[in-house]
Amino acid sequence: MEKFTKAFPSKPLPSKTAKPWALAGVVGSGNLEVMLERGGKPSDAMECHVETSIPGYKASWLAALADFAHHYPAGGAKVTIHDQGAPPVLVNLRLRQAYDHLTKGDK
Amino acid sequence: MSGALFHEQTARQRIAALADAGSFVELLPPPERITSPYLAQLGIPVSFDDGLVIGHAKIGGKKIYLAAQVGQFVGGAVGEIHGAKLTGLFKAAARDKLPCVLIIESGGVRLHEGSAGEIAIAETMRAIFECRALKVPTIAVIATDIGAYGGIGILSTCCDFRIMTEHGRLGISGPIVIEKWMGKKAYDSANRALVWKTSGGKTKYLLGDADALVHDTSEAVRDGIAKLLAKSSAVSLASVKARQKDLEKRLKRFGATEDPDAVWKSMGVRNIEAASLASGPEFAALAKRGK
Amino acid sequence: MKKPTSKKPSARAVLARLFGPSAKGIAIEKSVVTGYATVGGAKVCVIGTCDGTYIDNEAALRLAAHVIQCIDRQPKTPIVMLVDSAGQEPNRVAEMLGLASYFGHLLSCLELARRKGHTLITVATGQAVGGAFLCYGMFADRIYALASASVGLMPISAMSAVTKIPASVLQKLSKTMPSLEFGAEPFALLGGVEEVWSATDDVQAKLAQAIATSTPEDNRAELGKKRGGRKLALDIRKKVLAESAR
Repeated sequence: MEKFTKAFPSKPLPSKTAKPWALAGVVGSGNLEVMLERGGKPSDAMECHVETSIPGYKASWLAALADFAHHYPAGGAKVTIHDQGAPPVLVNLRLRQAYDHLTKGDK
Repeated sequence: MSGALFHEQTARQRIAALADAGSFVELLPPPERITSPYLAQLGIPVSFDDGLVIGHAKIGGKKIYLAAQVGQFVGGAVGEIHGAKLTGLFKAAARDKLPCVLIIESGGVRLHEGSAGEIAIAETMRAIFECRALKVPTIAVIATDIGAYGGIGILSTCCDFRIMTEHGRLGISGPIVIEKWMGKKAYDSANRALVWKTSGGKTKYLLGDADALVHDTSEAVRDGIAKLLAKSSAVSLASVKARQKDLEKRLKRFGATEDPDAVWKSMGVRNIEAASLASGPEFAALAKRGK
Repeated sequence: MKKPTSKKPSARAVLARLFGPSAKGIAIEKSVVTGYATVGGAKVCVIGTCDGTYIDNEAALRLAAHVIQCIDRQPKTPIVMLVDSAGQEPNRVAEMLGLASYFGHLLSCLELARRKGHTLITVATGQAVGGAFLCYGMFADRIYALASASVGLMPISAMSAVTKIPASVLQKLSKTMPSLEFGAEPFALLGGVEEVWSATDDVQAKLAQAIATSTPEDNRAELGKKRGGRKLALDIRKKVLAESAR
């Protein structure tokens, strides 16, 4: 198990989101759950907390999260991840799903 | 999610598909972060909902309590938190006299949390019977191959009604455990047809352990639930005496039967092949008509 | 070579210890126990298992039949449930017949008894593990265990074999998490057992006291919190009840 926390510069979230929090994915083999919440600090950064069952990939995680924070306005969002060995492409998909749920709602 | 196969959905998707649009209110939602200290200590990933999504919702305008187990997370198994959420939900249903529906997907007690999960299942059984004494309907839905096994298999039989699909399995010991115990010759856990004829929804429906056999879609499951929301099955001296006779008869009739097809035939299914291919209500109709 | 003598008392010896001379009214057939006895001068109905037997469809039906008979003919007579069973034997035919439903039926009969005013007391006398404990013993109003009983989900060695977590890790964790430990005492810490009766206890007096003080309210979550073995369950249940009342 490896845990780390880091904030990445990002443009602020839209002032109104569809929901205060959103969840994508499930914790299971080769999968992960990603929760996005309003109320992260500071407002010009995406606050990230990662727990992963596969240690040794911190650099890839940081790169993926930095990339997401760069492309999506997620400043002031708090991202919490429980991972059970998901491949990078799935990490990216879940981040986008959670972001869409948060900003646009479930539909 | 119209038309989506129920068994392929996640617990949260199932709830969204079953509940009237926007009606689901989650209790102890993910931002509360109530996660298992046992798994954390063992270095196993935790989940925000501990493998059980609970809340209230409306189905066809009628308010109910609703829970769905997350089969992907430690096999949907019941630990201390998961179990306490389940007990609390049935207790809330009894207090508010609202039906309680449990979408089951669980292998039973979560071994990583030891006896705490076992006690939680016993406590939930007590809470289910609290509901039943008040004529508050309790409904279990079993619709995936993870199914209802171990203590959760037993728990499902404590509810008023069980709705199954042909993908659902209900039992105590799973096929791999039985194969290890009896040998591959007696029970090959890779023989899917045999496994499903032993524990699958169709056989459970024929024997009367499942009250409804529905198609593998959220619409069909929702219709199945809606039909049962106004009903309850009281535990009375007459009902337990009738059940005793029924189960004695079943044991006498099939206790020495090795071949599940014989059970199907004896329960009115004439064309085994056609029945194997038929799904949900079509299967039920075939059995009834003895075709 | 001399046969090793078993330390385990015979099923009859356990019955005699619990019920004195009145134990003669209890039948043992294929390790299933049914009958009537007296406790503190009053009649009780007895059901149970012994010899660490497997409990199958037939055993469940025989126990259920005795409970139904008691409700029918001996209104409000307390029911004492004895548990010494290794669980259900993994068996394909038993599963096909719906063993879970047989257990559910037994539980329904016990629930009916409770609603009709029968006090339900369990004494774990031997093995009280897994499904065998869940299918009747854990459904009592109050649950007791002899100190010699093996109570719990499963021993750490078995838990380790299934989860692939080294036994040494589980052993170490069990010091702070009694849920992982196997036995009557740790189970009591979780609230799963009201009291453990030692080898020197007057168990006939204890049983009479248990029947006299029992209530149908499930107190296990409260006990587990008070004793510190199950710290979360009660508060989470209360949280569900509070959030749903809003």
